[in-house]
Amino acid sequence: MTLLSVSDLSKTFQTASGPVHAVRDVSFAVDRGECLAVVGESGSGKTTLANMILGILRPSAGTIAFDGAALPARRGPIQRRAIQFVQQNPLSSLNPKRSIGASIRLGLDTYGIGARAARWARVEDTLEEVGLPREMRRRSPAALSGGQRQRVGIARALACEPELVVLDEPTSALDVLVQARVLRLLNDLRARKNLTYVFITHDLAVVRNVADRVAVFRSGELVEIGDTPKIFSAPEHPYTRSLIGAVPVVDDAELQLRNRLAEGT
Amino acid sequence: MSNLLDIRDLKLAFKGLSGLSEVLHGIDLSIAAGERVALVGESGSGKSVTARIILGLLQETPNARVSGEVEFDGRDITAMRPRDRARLRGTEMSMIFQDPTSSLNPTFTIACQFAEVMRRRDPRMKQAECDARATEMLTEVSIPDPERVLNAYPFQLSGGMNQRVMIAMALVNNPKLLLADEPGTALDVSVQAQTLRLMHDLVEMHHTAVLFISHNLGVVREFADRVYVIYRGRIVEEGPTDAIFHAPGHAYTRALMDAVPRITGAGLPEVPEVSDDFLAPMVRHDGGAA
Repeated sequence: MTLLSVSDLSKTFQTASGPVHAVRDVSFAVDRGECLAVVGESGSGKTTLANMILGILRPSAGTIAFDGAALPARRGPIQRRAIQFVQQNPLSSLNPKRSIGASIRLGLDTYGIGARAARWARVEDTLEEVGLPREMRRRSPAALSGGQRQRVGIARALACEPELVVLDEPTSALDVLVQARVLRLLNDLRARKNLTYVFITHDLAVVRNVADRVAVFRSGELVEIGDTPKIFSAPEHPYTRSLIGAVPVVDDAELQLRNRLAEGT
Repeated sequence: MSNLLDIRDLKLAFKGLSGLSEVLHGIDLSIAAGERVALVGESGSGKSVTARIILGLLQETPNARVSGEVEFDGRDITAMRPRDRARLRGTEMSMIFQDPTSSLNPTFTIACQFAEVMRRRDPRMKQAECDARATEMLTEVSIPDPERVLNAYPFQLSGGMNQRVMIAMALVNNPKLLLADEPGTALDVSVQAQTLRLMHDLVEMHHTAVLFISHNLGVVREFADRVYVIYRGRIVEEGPTDAIFHAPGHAYTRALMDAVPRITGAGLPEVPEVSDDFLAPMVRHDGGAA
């Protein structure tokens, strides 16, 4: 069952030095419950793509269909609620003057989710779901650690009861131990709530372990897309091979895989 | 006395409103001439402050309390006058940072900044001499058109290019010790891999010792001869890179290794909660520091 389908999507920015094609003729589909990783280096168009899926940017050409219907240029509240966003840097994405609870509640008020009187309880339930104590709703973002803030970012998205969550480098600002816990949380939540993820990252080792499929972008173009195990064992595009070949690895099995891929080029 | 850098029982505390808070609890660390040593740990473990003490910068911060010995090239840095310490920076020891673009001055050209570095060693150097030497160094870091780069401002160059410029600048005075704090973390992986290889070759050629500070175990494995693992201001494990990666002895080191996702795809690791084992005594591997 396809949830999100992107066809012939392009975005061109007009700059002083001529047009820049940030995304060019990109087509792919994401099934309900699936996690699609979007990988690529800086300038590959990952973030522009995310912004178009979220409705923050209007595509120059092409269409984005959600749950069988094409999304209009100006989206209504139902459509906006269904697609939520988790940002890379939770410190800069949470309003420092608002309490954690107020930030999470904002989505509930905007979209009219649940009875007004029950919303604070709902906020606390969501905090609990992401592994934070209920009392945390009164705290301010500055008082939290990086891992806690990222959990709040996830809670903020979840509170809106989305179907699709776009995650932009959700763990790259975190320490390894914290990163591993947040990745686990994201995996559990997806299974429990049948969520669909578009997971944007440049960290291929993370991708290997969380994504069902991988889409590789280079300068705005989709160069390869396929099932995760296949992309990592037998990548077809030379660019994919070179990306995997550049990952710093920790154990010998990984080193062998990397060397084997390098010989294939 | 064969080590270039010898740190013994280094302690650091910051004076705050609620009294002293101790950050380093007695660290021992040594680097031989020409050796590549990594200091690995999470944020807040004390990696970067250690580098700042070696550079002699934290000693000049009013609310920092530093004790212990830091011997560099036979001289005790902690006992030096601030002026003498300042003279070491940029000449005998130099540093490269995480984000190259923001650590270069945007209002001066690369040539200008190169000259400033070289005049720290020899104030009488003419601009033409500086430019010639800078061109030589930029060629060494595989920059194809050094003249263009010399006349450019940092914001006109890419992140990877700026990183190479930083490396070239750090090595131009032939320092004995290079401190690298998370170099290339802000860059794309393929650019990061290139710069690391380049740095590796260059320090080998110039016989420069490196203290490589990082949280990325994969990068450390590729770059370092020897590794120190630091946790909450204590060194918990030390040994040759191979030994650390093949037979990690300390509970914390093992937890760190387990937490790194693998490209071979074993699934997400089970992460142990922070346990008392993390504070267990230090593990030393054979073939490590003298």
